Amino acid sequence: MSEFRITRREFLIQLGLLTAGSALASCAGPAAPTAVPATGPTAGPAATAVPKPTAAAVGKEVAPGVPRSETLILENPTGRVVPADDFNRWRPGIQSASTGLQQLGLDALWYIDPDAGISGVWDNSLAEEKPIYNKDFTQMTVKLRKGIYWSDGVEFTADDLIYTVDIQKKTAGLAYTGQFQSYVASMEKPDNYTVVFKLTKPNSRFHGLFTVRWSACWIMPKHVFEKQADPVAFKFNPPLSLSAYVLKDFDPNGNWYVWQRREDWQRTTLARFGMPGPKYAMYIAPGPSDKKVIAQTAKDLDVIHDIAPEGMITLAKTNPTSKGWFKSFPWAHPDPTLPAVMLNLAKSPYEMKEVRWALTLAIDIVRVAMASYRGAATISGIHVPPTGLYPKYYFDPLEQWLKDFTIDVGGQPYKPWDSEAPKRIADEARKALGNLVPTDAAEIRKSIGMGWWKYDVKAAEQLLLSKGFKRDSNKMWLKPNGEAWKIPLMCEGETRPIMNRAAAMIAENWKEFGIDSFADVRDSATRANLPSLGEFDAHLSWTIETWGGHPDLFYFLESWHSTYLRPLGERSVARNWFRWKNAELDKIIDQIQNLDFDDPKGLELGKEFVKLATREQPTIPIMSYNVFSVVDETYWEGFPTAENPYTNPVANWANTKYMFPKIKPKAK
Amino acid sequence: MVVFLGVTLTFIIPRFSPNDPVETRVSQMMMSGGQVNPEAVIHLREALNEMYGLKGSSLEQYLAFWGRLFRGDLGPSLSTFPTPVTELIARAMPWTLGLLLTSIIVSWVVGNLLGGIASYYTESRVMHVIDVLSQAVRPIPYYIMALVLLVVFAYFIPIFPFSGAYPAGTRVEWSLNFVLTVIKHSMLPAISLVIVGMGGWFLGMKSLTSNIISEDYVVYAETAGLRPRRILFSYVIRNALLPQVTGLALQLGMIFNGALIMEVVFGYPGMGMLTLQAVMANDYSLIMGIAIFSIIGVATSVLILDLLYPLFDPRVRHQ
Amino acid sequence: MLRVIRDLLKHDGRFRVAFIFLVAILIMSALSVVSPHDPGRTFRVPADMPPSLEHWFGTSSRGQDIFWWMAFAVRNSLFLGLMTAIVSRIIAIFVGLTAGYRGGFIDRALMSVNDSFVVMPVLPVLILLSFLLKGSMSLVTLAVILGLFGWPWDARLIRSQVLSLKERAFTQTAVYSGTGAFRISLNEHLPFVLPVVFATTINNMLWSIGLEVTLSVLGLSNVTLPTIGTAIFWANQHQALVAGVWWWLAAPVVIAIILFLGLYLLFSSVNEYIDPRTRLRRIGG
Repeated sequence: MSEFRITRREFLIQLGLLTAGSALASCAGPAAPTAVPATGPTAGPAATAVPKPTAAAVGKEVAPGVPRSETLILENPTGRVVPADDFNRWRPGIQSASTGLQQLGLDALWYIDPDAGISGVWDNSLAEEKPIYNKDFTQMTVKLRKGIYWSDGVEFTADDLIYTVDIQKKTAGLAYTGQFQSYVASMEKPDNYTVVFKLTKPNSRFHGLFTVRWSACWIMPKHVFEKQADPVAFKFNPPLSLSAYVLKDFDPNGNWYVWQRREDWQRTTLARFGMPGPKYAMYIAPGPSDKKVIAQTAKDLDVIHDIAPEGMITLAKTNPTSKGWFKSFPWAHPDPTLPAVMLNLAKSPYEMKEVRWALTLAIDIVRVAMASYRGAATISGIHVPPTGLYPKYYFDPLEQWLKDFTIDVGGQPYKPWDSEAPKRIADEARKALGNLVPTDAAEIRKSIGMGWWKYDVKAAEQLLLSKGFKRDSNKMWLKPNGEAWKIPLMCEGETRPIMNRAAAMIAENWKEFGIDSFADVRDSATRANLPSLGEFDAHLSWTIETWGGHPDLFYFLESWHSTYLRPLGERSVARNWFRWKNAELDKIIDQIQNLDFDDPKGLELGKEFVKLATREQPTIPIMSYNVFSVVDETYWEGFPTAENPYTNPVANWANTKYMFPKIKPKAK
Repeated sequence: MVVFLGVTLTFIIPRFSPNDPVETRVSQMMMSGGQVNPEAVIHLREALNEMYGLKGSSLEQYLAFWGRLFRGDLGPSLSTFPTPVTELIARAMPWTLGLLLTSIIVSWVVGNLLGGIASYYTESRVMHVIDVLSQAVRPIPYYIMALVLLVVFAYFIPIFPFSGAYPAGTRVEWSLNFVLTVIKHSMLPAISLVIVGMGGWFLGMKSLTSNIISEDYVVYAETAGLRPRRILFSYVIRNALLPQVTGLALQLGMIFNGALIMEVVFGYPGMGMLTLQAVMANDYSLIMGIAIFSIIGVATSVLILDLLYPLFDPRVRHQ
Repeated sequence: MLRVIRDLLKHDGRFRVAFIFLVAILIMSALSVVSPHDPGRTFRVPADMPPSLEHWFGTSSRGQDIFWWMAFAVRNSLFLGLMTAIVSRIIAIFVGLTAGYRGGFIDRALMSVNDSFVVMPVLPVLILLSFLLKGSMSLVTLAVILGLFGWPWDARLIRSQVLSLKERAFTQTAVYSGTGAFRISLNEHLPFVLPVVFATTINNMLWSIGLEVTLSVLGLSNVTLPTIGTAIFWANQHQALVAGVWWWLAAPVVIAIILFLGLYLLFSSVNEYIDPRTRLRRIGG
C-alpha cells in the first residue's frame, strides 16, 4: 500500500515538472525559426556584406552585431507590431508602416515637407522633375530619375511605376485601388524613364497620390510582386529597399526593427544630400510614456516620437541632452493638422450659425491650452493649422481682416477676435514653468499662435436668446423647442491624453455656461464609426489636415464638396463627418480644382475659404496637434529644429528620411 | 450544448458593438496621412466588406463560420487582415501559457502547503504573519496591486524592467541569455500573480484543514504517536486537497483567457493583450477564435479533472 | 443590532479594524456633501501642490483638491457597489431559491445558465458592453450591468442552502399543510438564506468596485464622474508618476486599500458570526 502511495506522489511531481517545463519551452519555441529574416536571398549585396568591427564597435551592442555608437534608436509609435513579419505596405491598415519601412526602405515620386524642407518644400525624389500636366489636366507626365537601384541590384524604371498603378487598379483590396480605378484611363511608356498617365477626367491634383505627406503611394518592385499569385496576401518579407537602408533584422514579436545603411546608398535618391550618418537605425516599441522618459534618460532611446507634456517637462528639467523642436517652451513640433470641435450640422440646433458662434465664445481658450498642454499649445482661430508655413501663407495676410471681422450680436456688430489670447496663455504657463516660457512677443506669436476668439459668455448668451433659447430655473439652457440641451463631446481616451484633456475642459466651459456637456471618451474604433454615420453632437477630432509646407487646401477640401455629402445614418464619404453644405464652398472647391497645384490664385481662393469658414464657423478650430518629439543628443546631433526646420522630426513621418543625411555622430 | 451557446453568443454580441472593422480600417487609411480622394473611400469600403466576408446577412455569415470551424479554420483576422487568427493566437499563447502556468502552479503549491501548515501549527508566529498578509492582500483589486508593485519595483527602486517580455534588440532564440532575460522580465508580473493567487489558496486551505484537524482520525493519529509531519501531509492536507484540485483545474482551464489586466499593466504580449486588441477593433474573427480556445480550455480541464480524480480520492478509485 | 456590533467590537479584532476603516470611509464620503469644491470644476486651486495642511492630499494637475475630489469618488464608488449588490442579490435570490426548491428540469436549466455565466470571461464581455452603452453610461447603468454578471456564484450558494433546508422537517410540514411553493420559498427559506445574502453582499461590493476600477482605468466608464477608478485614470492621463505628482496616484490607491480591507474584514468577520452551520446547529434543525 505504501509503495503505491509513493508512486502516485512521484507521478504528480513528475506531471508538475513536465507541465512547467513544457510551458517554459513553448514560451520561445514557435517564434524562434522566423527570427533571422533580413539576409535572405533577395537582400542583395548590402546585406550579405559582413560588417567590419571597428574600434568603436567593441562597446555596447543594441542588437546582435549592432554597436550602439553607430545606431540611431527611434520610437515606432505604432507600438508592438502584430504580425511582425508583414511588410506589404500597399495593403490598407498595415501595422508595420512606421517600423522604418516607409521612412528608410521605400521611396515615392515626390515629397512635400510640412516645414521648410531640405531643399525647399517640394522635393523631386524618384521623379526628376515636377509633374507635367496638359492644359485641361487630363494627362500627367512623370520623368523618372536614372541610376536608382533596388537593394537587390535591379534598376528602378518606368516599369515599376506602371506596375504599381496597374496592379493596384486591377486588384481590389489594395490601398489605391479606388483612386486609380476612378482616375487612370491608361498609361504610356515613351521610354524607360517616362510615364504618361491618361486620366479619365480632369484632375489637377492627381500627383497628390504620389506625393508624400507622411505617406503616399509607394513604388512597388515589379520583379518581386509579379511573381506573386496573390499580391494582397503577399507579406513582402524581407522587404526590398529602394531607399538608403535595408532591413537587417527584426523581432518576430514586433518589438524592434534594425535597418542597415546600404553599401550602395549612392544608388538611391537620398544620395543627393550626402551619406546618411547612422550606419544602423533601430525602431523600437518603447512602451508607455513613463518608460520613454526612463529610456531616454538612460540614453537608450534617441528619438521619442511623442510624449505627454509632463514627460517633456520632466526631460527638460532632468536630461540636459534632450531637445525639442523649439529650444524651450513649448518644445513640441506642431503637426500640420487642426483638431477642431466638429458640431453635427445635420442635427438641431447646430444648423444655426448663431449657436455655433455662441459655443465658440463660451470656450476659454486659455484654460483649454493649460488643461491640455500646460500652455504648450499652438492655437488657431481659423480653419487652417497654425503650423509649418501657414502663418506666412494665411495668418499674417488675414490678421487685419480678422481684427475687423464682426458678427451680429443683439443687433450690434461685435468684434470677436482676440489677439491677446496667446500672451495670456504664456503668462499663465509662466506661473508654473518660470523662465522656460518666452516673454518676447514675436517668440510667443511664433510658438503659441496669433490669436483666438474672445471668451465672452455675455455675447454668447445674447446669441442664444436671439434664437429662442431660454434658461430654466437652474440657469441651464433649454433649446428653442423647450428640451434640455445636452452635448456629449466625443473625444479620444487612453491613447491620446491631450485630446481628452482638451475636451474635458471645453465641456467644463460649456457646463459653466449652462449646457449639460461632458467629455465622452471613446476608443478609436468607435470614433471611426459613429461620426461616419452622423451619430454624434460634438466631436473633438481631425477633419482639417494640410500639406503644411504648401498652401494648397484641396487636400482636405475635396471631400467637403456637397457631391460627397451624405444624410444622417448613411456613411459619410471622407472628411465631412459634420455634414456642412454650402454653395459658396462648392464654388471655391470647384475653382481650386481647375487650377494648377502651384497657381498663386490657389492661395487667394484658400483665403476666401478661410473667410467663408470664419463667417459660418462650421467647426470650432482649436489648436494644432503638437507632437512632443524629443531627441537626445548624446550620440547624434544635427536633428531638425525650429531654427533649422529642414524636415519634420516626428519619427513615423516618411519625410524623416531627410534627417538621416543631416545627422552626424556627436562631436566629442 | 454550452459550447454551442457560448460560440453563438460570441458571434452575436460583437455585431451590436458600435465599432465596425471596415470603418476602423477606412479611418486608419485616412488618418495615415496620404491624400485620399472621396471616391476611393467609397471603393475601399466596398472592397473591404467583400474581402472580410461581411457581405450577406448575419445568418449567412454565421453558417459560413460554422462551416469553416469544422474544417479547423478560424479565418483571417480582420484587424490584421489577412493574417490567420490561428497565427495570432499561436504567437500570443506561449507567453501567456509560460507565465500563467508557472505562476498558478507555484501559487497553488505554496499556498496550499502554507495553508495546511498554518492550520496545524496554530502557534507559529511566521504563519500568523502570513495569515495576516494574505488576508490583507486578498481583497485588493488586482490592478491596484499590480500598479503598486510596478511603481515601487520598476520606478522608485528599479530592480525590474518596466514593461515588455524582453528588451528591444534581443533576438528570440534558444540561449541561456535569452531565457534569463525573459525570466527577469516576467518576474514582476509573476510575483503579482503569485501574491494574489497564493493568498486565495492559503486561506482556502486553512479553512478546509482547520475543520479536518478536529476529525476523529487526526486525533487518533496523534494519540498513536505518529510524527506531526506525517499527520500533516498524509492525513490533513491530503484530505483537504480535493476541492483545491477542482479549483486549480478550473483556473487552469481559464488560462487561455490570459490575464488581461496583468498584461495591460506590464505590457506583456500574451492572450490578454490580444483579447483587448480584438475587442477594441471589433475584430469578429479574432474574438471568436479566442472565445473558442477559452471554451475548449475549460471543457478540457473538466475532462482531465474527471480522469485525475481517482488519483486523489481513494473513494472514487474504488468505484 | 447595536448589541451585536458591540459584542463584535469587543471580541473580534478583525471587526474592530474593519469598523475603524469603514467608519473613516463613510465619514469621508459623507463629507462630500459639505465640499467647498465642485468635482466637475478644474483649476480652482493651484495645480500640483504636494500634501499640506491646506490641501491634505495635495492637489492634482487639473487644479483640484484631491481630498475633496476623493470624497466624491468614495461616495460614488460605494453607491456603485451597493447598487450592483442589490441588483445581483435580487437575481441570485430568485435563481437560488427557485432552482433549489423546484429542482428537476428548472434546476438543471437555471444551473446551466448559471454555469455559463461562471465560465464566461467577464472582463472582455464587459468591455464590449461598455462600448455599446458608452453614450449613456452612468453609475446606475454601470451598476446594473455589473449586477447582471455578479450573481452566479452566490446563486449557487443560496441553492445549496435551500437544498439542505428542503430536507428539513419544517419544509415537509409546510408542504403537508398545503402551503404553495412560492410561499414556502419566501416565508420559510428566505429568512434562513438572508444572512448568507448579507455576507455575499459585502463580497459582491468588493468585486464590483474592483471591476469599476479596472474599467475606468481603461477609460471605459464615464470618466467625468469621480470614482476611485477615474481618479487613477486622470492621474495616468497626466503622467502623474513621471511628473512627480505621486500623491495623485497615492490617494486613490491608499483609499482603495482601506476601503477594500475594511469591506473584506467585515465580510469575513460577519461570515464567521453567521456561519450557516453554526446557525443551523443553534436552531437545532
